[in-house]
Amino acid sequence: MFSALWDFAARQWLTHRLRVALTAVSIALGVGVYFAVATANAALLESLSLTVERLAGKAALEVVAGESGFPEGVLDQVRAIPGVQLAEPVIEVIAHTALQDEGNLLILGVDTTAEQRLHQFEFDLAQSQLADPLTYLTQPNSILLSGSFAARHRLKLGDQLTLYTPRGRQAFTVQGLFKPTGVGAVFGGNIAVMDVYSMQLTFDRGHNLDRIDLLNSADLSIADLRSRLRAQLPRGLQIVSPRTRGEALQNAVTAMRLGMSITSFIALLVGVYIIINSFSIAVNQRWKDLGVLRAVGVPASALTAMFLVEALLLGVLGSLAGVVGGYGAAALTGKIMGSIAASVYGVVATEVAPTLHPGLACGAFALGIGAALFGAWLPARTAAKIDPILALHHIELRQPEKLVGWLRISAAVLLLCLSTLLIVSVPAAVGTTLPLGVAVIMFVGLILLMPALVHWTARLLRPALDWLGGSEGALAMDAMIQSPRRSAGTVGALMIGLMFVYSTAAYIQSYRHMIDRWSDQLLNADLFVAATTLLRSTSYHFSEALGRRIAALPEVQRVENVRFLSVPFRDDTAALIAIEMDGFLARASNSVTGGNAKTLRELLPTGRGALVSRNFASRWGIRVGERVSLDTPTGQLVLPVAGMVDDYRSDKGSIFLDRALYKMVWKDDAVDFVDVSLRAGASIARAKRDITRLTADSEHALVYTNAEFRGWIAGLVDQFFLLNYMQLVIAVLVAVLGISNTLFMSVAERRREFGILRSIGALKSQLRKLVLLEAVAVSFVGVIVGTFCALFNIQFMSHTVSTALAGYDVPFVFPWQVILVSLPVVVAVSLLAAWAPARRAMQTPVLEAIGHE
Amino acid sequence: MIEFKGVSKAYGPRGNVLALKRLDLLIATGERVAIIGPSGSGKSTLLNLVSGMDVASSGSVKLDGVELSALDDPVRTRLRREKIGMVFQTFNLLPTLTAMENVALPLRLQGLAKGASQHRARALLERVGLQHRSSHRPDELSSGERQRVALARALIFQPPVLLADEPTGNLDSVTGEQILRLLDDLQREYRSTLLMVTHNAAAAGHCQRVITLHDGQIVRDERSMPSAPGSQ
Repeated sequence: MFSALWDFAARQWLTHRLRVALTAVSIALGVGVYFAVATANAALLESLSLTVERLAGKAALEVVAGESGFPEGVLDQVRAIPGVQLAEPVIEVIAHTALQDEGNLLILGVDTTAEQRLHQFEFDLAQSQLADPLTYLTQPNSILLSGSFAARHRLKLGDQLTLYTPRGRQAFTVQGLFKPTGVGAVFGGNIAVMDVYSMQLTFDRGHNLDRIDLLNSADLSIADLRSRLRAQLPRGLQIVSPRTRGEALQNAVTAMRLGMSITSFIALLVGVYIIINSFSIAVNQRWKDLGVLRAVGVPASALTAMFLVEALLLGVLGSLAGVVGGYGAAALTGKIMGSIAASVYGVVATEVAPTLHPGLACGAFALGIGAALFGAWLPARTAAKIDPILALHHIELRQPEKLVGWLRISAAVLLLCLSTLLIVSVPAAVGTTLPLGVAVIMFVGLILLMPALVHWTARLLRPALDWLGGSEGALAMDAMIQSPRRSAGTVGALMIGLMFVYSTAAYIQSYRHMIDRWSDQLLNADLFVAATTLLRSTSYHFSEALGRRIAALPEVQRVENVRFLSVPFRDDTAALIAIEMDGFLARASNSVTGGNAKTLRELLPTGRGALVSRNFASRWGIRVGERVSLDTPTGQLVLPVAGMVDDYRSDKGSIFLDRALYKMVWKDDAVDFVDVSLRAGASIARAKRDITRLTADSEHALVYTNAEFRGWIAGLVDQFFLLNYMQLVIAVLVAVLGISNTLFMSVAERRREFGILRSIGALKSQLRKLVLLEAVAVSFVGVIVGTFCALFNIQFMSHTVSTALAGYDVPFVFPWQVILVSLPVVVAVSLLAAWAPARRAMQTPVLEAIGHE
Repeated sequence: MIEFKGVSKAYGPRGNVLALKRLDLLIATGERVAIIGPSGSGKSTLLNLVSGMDVASSGSVKLDGVELSALDDPVRTRLRREKIGMVFQTFNLLPTLTAMENVALPLRLQGLAKGASQHRARALLERVGLQHRSSHRPDELSSGERQRVALARALIFQPPVLLADEPTGNLDSVTGEQILRLLDDLQREYRSTLLMVTHNAAAAGHCQRVITLHDGQIVRDERSMPSAPGSQ
């Protein structure tokens, strides 16, 4: 029996090649997007670990203190601890070169007088006069370059390379080249080596180091050495293995990776709807044949099995194509993710070409097959329930499909009410499982309600389309009302795609409103001087001298030096913003909540209190008046929380300290931003010009007006969501493919209807209009139902997801502009998708169609 | 007037199946004609050529002096819509539309406003005795009611030509007789030319002229009633 059924199914595949192809493509796109993001995610993580491990060389352990560094005296302490075989000081700086069209250069500072057993560079001896070019580095302003960087810029021994340093532009002499392998391949080969102590001077690091790389002696295990170091060094210093440090870096980009992964599932979800749609169409196409098969004794279970085997085969084909395509797209995805990681999180990594992870590929493959089987299950069940007597009746006796049962609607409404109640009433917390639970309840509710929504919306729209499009409009709408199985899948796919487009747009709008409000409250200086185009610079900073030079300009009333870095907090990290609190309170005290003004003025400028951001408080459950404890390079710092502010610079939360306290405790006087307030009546444009001129030949400084700075932040927000948008566009494209698929099938199924219409005098052009109007109807219903579902999803994203990922919720915004803009776009794209099916409708042979039953 | 002159119609991949062979036929305006004959004799083909849904392989088919094969598809379709009413054995109603909407459909395809179309459709439904079933869909109607709706739809333009292809083929004898009487009444009322293909002798008995086809040729042409066309 199964071979007979297989022959039957195979002929259907051959007859309906387009439907089969579109189904496979939708699976391929869903799997492809998922696999591309998963592979890019893995490549990003790999590159973060690889960068850390290559830079660590053979070190077994590292002593670090976040981004602030620590006093060099720690090195002697470490070397004196028994069991430490070797300890080497390291500074890492990403410096801006004065070369045109060149990005940044990672400069690794090592102790050139020590025996290089941890960091081994493979020198190109043909390009060096000495066997060990590191010895050159003891000479001032000397630098060694990777061969690939030197070759790119035609630099050779003895040439000068100019770099921006906190002390201005400085020229360095190339004293040797090393091969672009091992550490030489880090950061795309844009790597250089200098003497660590020269770097302290050149890059204004005082007597600080970034880390100490060390090796245990043969008689002591790494774990024991770590315990020993932990016991003897200040708590602010972390003793980690390079692998752990890589993992900590990976942790910094968790929110981004999670967000990307969630969005990548959307394309897959849309794909599932297309599969449901496609198999529903297959069931409808074979309605009569299935009736005949049942009539001649084929059991219902065999029909279910036939459809599931078809789904399995399509799943295998689509998933294979998806894995191959996804792997191809992973490189571009990885570039975008790497760029976001660098600009938003300040995490710079070596670019790693995505590798094919068999585990991920198998996972994506299995997911595609699972999605195909899941999508085919409902239509297969419908096929099994076909009543052979009804199936063999005339077209006039075909009953409207019944998908909208009150039990189902009641269950859907109950689930949606429950999810709304959970979103509104249960306080979300960072990283809890609540979001997943709420999402499942909400989406099951929406999916259950979807056919009813499609049906109701189509009924509501019928009079309008009847009025606008004449009888063709009414017939187009009827096609949706009477055959929910055919259209619900397509509308569902479109709805899911649009729902996420609208929700993401709402989230971004909401985020922007919030950033605007935040900018009004906290970023209200007239000009901002930044050390980087990224959100923060992890290694290149200004010296305080720059602030003094700017303050000396006649139009400047006040400058505030700001240090913005990531520090360890508990088992995670937090953003630390060290700012001159007098100036900050003078312009932004209104934005502080939870503490009274007098206390704030007493505690903050004197370094006896701290402010925390609301998401920090939410993440760690800390309230005003409680104490926050920070492990610093010089010991533990415990401060009362004097107040709270809204701050969105870090999804881990921010702590605000007075700059003088920071300098004293962290021994770091670097500056990342100079906030400049001008005298009343001073020209902002002129001041900007003066500061640009002032810094042109010394610092790598970017001067922004307040409006430009806000625009720059908005650009970062856009960049953060770029990949999400790209994935959503793919999801909507998949949905549009579904429209084409549905309409081809609609035309095939309604052949007799078209024949009847032609027989009573409908013109070919009227049939075309009918099919095009059906596409318009699908678009309208998709947009309306998508908007309805987006209302729930926006609420969910702006409250629950936002709090879970970043610790703060964002206000609910309804993206009506995006919805209005999307409507004509979706209609236009749908019309394009409908063009070929409409032409096929025109070619319906009347007599054959009427005879066709 | 319907005029066939030397009409042949060939089917099949090589055109080797001849459904009509050099057929000559003249049907006067207002005449009630039954076409009978065994299956495959060419009855339906003849009807399809008159409706313009098919074109002759050779020869000429004229409707009121207009050569149908000379018209392009849009003109032929408009002509079918306005001048020809068709009733089928399987009713061919659109399952998603109500009886009223089915009847009004040709007017709406013509571009007439919904209100005006439905006003005329209502009158015709009343004429076929189905005013109380106007909001029902085909699957909610009996076979006889469906054929009445189809008849009302065919007459919505008061067409000069009414084509019926086995109009009682799916009906029991009592309902079939009712439909034939209604068809008679309406044909007389609208003074249409009726061309009815049937296997049913009783149905043929309702016509003034009975043409028998065999293998694509007219083998008998009888006038069963002496009354002049449209005289009642």
